[in-house]
Amino acid sequence: MKRTSPLVRRGSEIDIDSAMTPMIDVVFLLLVFFVWTASFQIVEQILPSEMSTLVGSAPIDPQEQPEPKDYEDVVVRIGWNGQSPTWRINESSLASLAAVQRQLETISRIQEEAPVILHPDPIVPLGVVIEAYDAAKASGFTLVSFAVNPQGQ
Amino acid sequence: MTPMIDVVFLLIIFFLVSSHLARQESQLELALPIALTGQDDIDTETPRLTINVKPDGSLWLAGRPVAKGQLKQRFVDARAKEGDNIEVRIRGSRSAPYSTVEPIMLACTGAKIWNVTYAVYREESR
Repeated sequence: MKRTSPLVRRGSEIDIDSAMTPMIDVVFLLLVFFVWTASFQIVEQILPSEMSTLVGSAPIDPQEQPEPKDYEDVVVRIGWNGQSPTWRINESSLASLAAVQRQLETISRIQEEAPVILHPDPIVPLGVVIEAYDAAKASGFTLVSFAVNPQGQ
Repeated sequence: MTPMIDVVFLLIIFFLVSSHLARQESQLELALPIALTGQDDIDTETPRLTINVKPDGSLWLAGRPVAKGQLKQRFVDARAKEGDNIEVRIRGSRSAPYSTVEPIMLACTGAKIWNVTYAVYREESR
């Protein structure tokens, strides 16, 4: 038996309104589908840390004499003056992160193997600490670690 | 055909929405730090424990707040359950103070978890 199309239900007259509605419905659904699947979420990346090499080591005993090394540790101290960070590399002050990175690049050309230890003050925002870590990595150092205060736990 | 397509699309959208909401629950919205040396997260095999650090410094593990004193035990338990190669991912707000992240790293070393990563954004995006 031949089914009667809704388009010709009323004789030969085509009812445009009733024919359009399901199509609009599907089109809207498609629209919602594509809007939903379009990812608005910012892709996260990861920054691996060298916990296994340095931070995981035993606390340093001040009485114990360290083994002689071919190179010195590069200690980056990060302070916070309430609005912006302050920087020191091995006790010499630097004005900005860009200056720190330049200094680190110079040091890494001489002693790339030297471990960089980031020593942030407790109030320094994490964003600044990660920027410093990133700058040290980008400077060419392979060992960058965080100093942690065991009393902080 | 049209009503059937309609229903199928509705079902697809329903499942998409519900899966998206389920994912949102485990991913707290945070302004993560920016890093240029960040790597794409392609490893999905390693068991992972994600810890969120809110701007006020509060720590959230598995969708619930956690005290820093409990972290080590939680990590020890997770390592015993998931294996030695477990990863701890720190999703810290860029404005959270370093003193709130320090206990996480200490707890990781205490629990002998060495695979610690930071979640970062590639560039300034929010």
